[in-house]
Amino acid sequence: MLNIKNLCASVEDKQILKGLTLDVKPGEVHAIMGPNGSGKSTLASVLAGNEDFEVTEGSVNFLGEDLLDMEADERSHAGVFLAFQYPVEIPGVSNINFLKTAINEKREALGQDPISAKDFLQRVKEKASLVELDNKLTNRSVNEGFSGGEKKRNEIFQMAMLEPKLSILDETDSGLDIDALRIVANGVNKLRSKDRSFIVVTHYQRLLDYIVPDFVHVLYDGKIVKTGTKELALELEEKGYDWIKKEADAVAV
Amino acid sequence: METMTNTTKENQLIQSLKSSYSSPVAKTFMRIQNESAARLNDLTFPNSRVEYWKYTRTGQIANKMWAFSTQKEAEIPENLPVSKYRMVFVNGYFNQEKSILPEIEGLSIRPFSESSLDQKIAQGDDDIFKALNTAMPQDGYIIHLIRDVIVEDPIQMVFLYEGNLTIVQPRSFVKLESGSGLKVSEFHIHANGSRVFANIHSEVSVHNNAHYKIDIVQQGSEHGFHLHETFGEQDKNCTYSQNTFTLSGNWTRNNSTIRLTGEHSECNINGFYIPNLKEHIDNHTIIDHEKPNCESNELYRGVLIDKSTGVFNGKVFVRQDAQKTNAFQSNGNIIFSDTATMNSKPELEIYADDVKCSHGSTTGQLDDEAIFYLMARGLSRESARKLLINAFAEDVLEKLVNENLRPIIEETINTKLA
Repeated sequence: MLNIKNLCASVEDKQILKGLTLDVKPGEVHAIMGPNGSGKSTLASVLAGNEDFEVTEGSVNFLGEDLLDMEADERSHAGVFLAFQYPVEIPGVSNINFLKTAINEKREALGQDPISAKDFLQRVKEKASLVELDNKLTNRSVNEGFSGGEKKRNEIFQMAMLEPKLSILDETDSGLDIDALRIVANGVNKLRSKDRSFIVVTHYQRLLDYIVPDFVHVLYDGKIVKTGTKELALELEEKGYDWIKKEADAVAV
Repeated sequence: METMTNTTKENQLIQSLKSSYSSPVAKTFMRIQNESAARLNDLTFPNSRVEYWKYTRTGQIANKMWAFSTQKEAEIPENLPVSKYRMVFVNGYFNQEKSILPEIEGLSIRPFSESSLDQKIAQGDDDIFKALNTAMPQDGYIIHLIRDVIVEDPIQMVFLYEGNLTIVQPRSFVKLESGSGLKVSEFHIHANGSRVFANIHSEVSVHNNAHYKIDIVQQGSEHGFHLHETFGEQDKNCTYSQNTFTLSGNWTRNNSTIRLTGEHSECNINGFYIPNLKEHIDNHTIIDHEKPNCESNELYRGVLIDKSTGVFNGKVFVRQDAQKTNAFQSNGNIIFSDTATMNSKPELEIYADDVKCSHGSTTGQLDDEAIFYLMARGLSRESARKLLINAFAEDVLEKLVNENLRPIIEETINTKLA
């Protein structure tokens, strides 16, 4: 589904990703872990098409197409979704109106008719309950005045509404208490299927107790330096990142 | 001496105007008309050294030989919202055929030239534009509502401007007696390709417990000039609400002055502007709190595209006597290109000590983060921008007195952003 080869990316002339390679197959959940500043969020932003980041080398193939050649909206239409670490507050734009526009622009891009009002409302009701999002929040301005937990639940709600093929969760667990974490993770788990893949970027192992990954990758200094299964996450939780850094630095020398 | 004054551009222009001016004026107006005509000889067009005109040049008006037009017919644009009541003015002449006047007891509604109401409240004609209008006024509307008469449906006023080097000087006056209520929707439309200088003067007197609400939509032309002077005077316990939407126009200047001369009154003046190309829009407001316990709210928002320029100057006076005043003012601007300019200047002069006054002015670009967020959800860049700008405009749009005006405003916003 997703093939990242030797990806290098920089922001404001600072090289962050330095040759990252990753393959994601349909239905798989990949966790990306790593110390602060290792490039986790950069990877998420680059995949979603944030223009603040410049790709200097490498390729990203998504379902047979060159992902890097697409604008952010085209990537969304192709089935990529990024759940933001810091969801943006947009005063005056209602959650519902914006989602309807988003869904219909995607349908238009795919040559489909606009969604009917009835189907849309049905979907809103269904997906909002998935993350226990209050009806009132769905009608409010996008993220405005939402608590940290509500913002993250709203991200997962939007993800459910847009039915992406590849979802990238960028530190969705940050700032969540245990109850909110459980709700968000449950929402994600309900969306798991054999065709739908996830990249879960996280700093802590905690989230992976709820969203159990098929693979765990450790990102350090812009590269994946270690890959394992969920046990690797537990090991990292216990021993921290220093041993990984030492290993990686030794190889680099 | 005589030969010297005759050679100034002002004098040449005034001669040209006088020779083409043929609008009838009511007897009751003639005294002030003559006073202004006499004063015109001593007045000159302001230059940018005058603070009040610092960012808006008048030279392009001063150097042209304007004349009054005889054209009294024009087509009403099709996209104008339907209205139960309507008055149509073409180049300063009332058009009876296209108008539908309300017949309500206690409401007198006439074109300026046919009204004998004593019609002047604004002080001082030391300004050449005011003096020009007063010396050679044309048809606007004169409305007089007697005690406790409330007109529920908005009255639509359509001002059409068409011609080349044509000056139009509508004069309007509204008097609302105690307990009365009136809603007005004004359209000012310059025909495409026309070159008209519209020099509009409106005065409104709102008495005890009366409520006046007006929406003004301005659609200028590529070569036109549009100056709208509004003067409002409020007695006690009354409301004055005005929303101005400047959708287009080469050169637009709005001067709104509201005096709060009684206690417990409320004044709301709001505006939205979206200039593009080389359009210039200037909103000057003065709110004068003369008496205690009044409230004023001001919200002006603008989106500046291409090489357009904008000016906002909002003056609020709180006189020594005006304790317990609440005055709020906000001006927000989104600069849409590297070449657009905005000059924003809030000015508060407070002489009372127990008051709540706030003002804020922000000018910035569209939030890139928000655009990326929306695009990552599948919105095109254009849709994302439109959504954000419409949300920004909504804070002013939601104040519309007449919701029927919304489509024409939203259509312009979306066309200009495309």
